[in-house]
Amino acid sequence: MKRSYIPVGLLLVVLMLNIIFTQYMVHQYFYENYTNTIIAAVVNVLLFPVAFIIYKKGVNVND
Amino acid sequence: MSDKNNKIPFNEDNYTHNINRNNERKLDRRGFMKTLVGAAGVFAVSSLPWGVMAAKELNRLGDKKYPKHKIADLDKVPVGDAVDFHFPGEHDSAILIRLSEKKFVAYQNACTHLRCPVFWQKDEGEMLCPCHHGKFDVETGAPIAGPPRRPLPEIHVKVENGAVYAVGVKRYEA
Ligand code: FES
Repeated sequence: MKRSYIPVGLLLVVLMLNIIFTQYMVHQYFYENYTNTIIAAVVNVLLFPVAFIIYKKGVNVND
Repeated sequence: MSDKNNKIPFNEDNYTHNINRNNERKLDRRGFMKTLVGAAGVFAVSSLPWGVMAAKELNRLGDKKYPKHKIADLDKVPVGDAVDFHFPGEHDSAILIRLSEKKFVAYQNACTHLRCPVFWQKDEGEMLCPCHHGKFDVETGAPIAGPPRRPLPEIHVKVENGAVYAVGVKRYEA
């Protein structure tokens, strides 16, 4: 199979989301909206398994 | 390749041949993806303390009581002057400014950009952060110039028996 760059793109999207949610989390913390802080933190944590799954699916394609 | 390696010394004009390993120093697609997954992991791990701190704050938010704290005697603070104090903890530096005979304002004076101490500029009538020239409005604590985006946390003050007291920290309106 031809190698695919879609997983690479998806991982870059995940990284972008990580950055956005981290920024949001820190700001919401100082704004004392602690619920939003927790939500952002949870999203950030969940993005890791997502990234890992994308990677697992992606490497099996020949490279 | 194979017959080359059998000659000793094989004639290769390369003194560093022994550092050639398979795929060393090659950032291929797979390696790049690994890096990205690693980055996601770092983000995930570094989010945890924030979540924990937020959860702690959330738990004790209901009964957040501030001890009454005496800042200064009234006659020690002339109109237009400022005094530094600490509130609510001893590491939370804060500033009290007397705007008029009756009007006092107080803020936690760690700059909302990178936490440098903000001070009161009497002549300009604004609060200035020396680090990157952030400015704050005295009346509200709102940022008016420079990098800070978030207002300074306001401290409620009360005048009682000839002295000024800090009684609480104002919550941001969500
Ligand atoms: S720390 Fe105050 S402006 Fe940067």
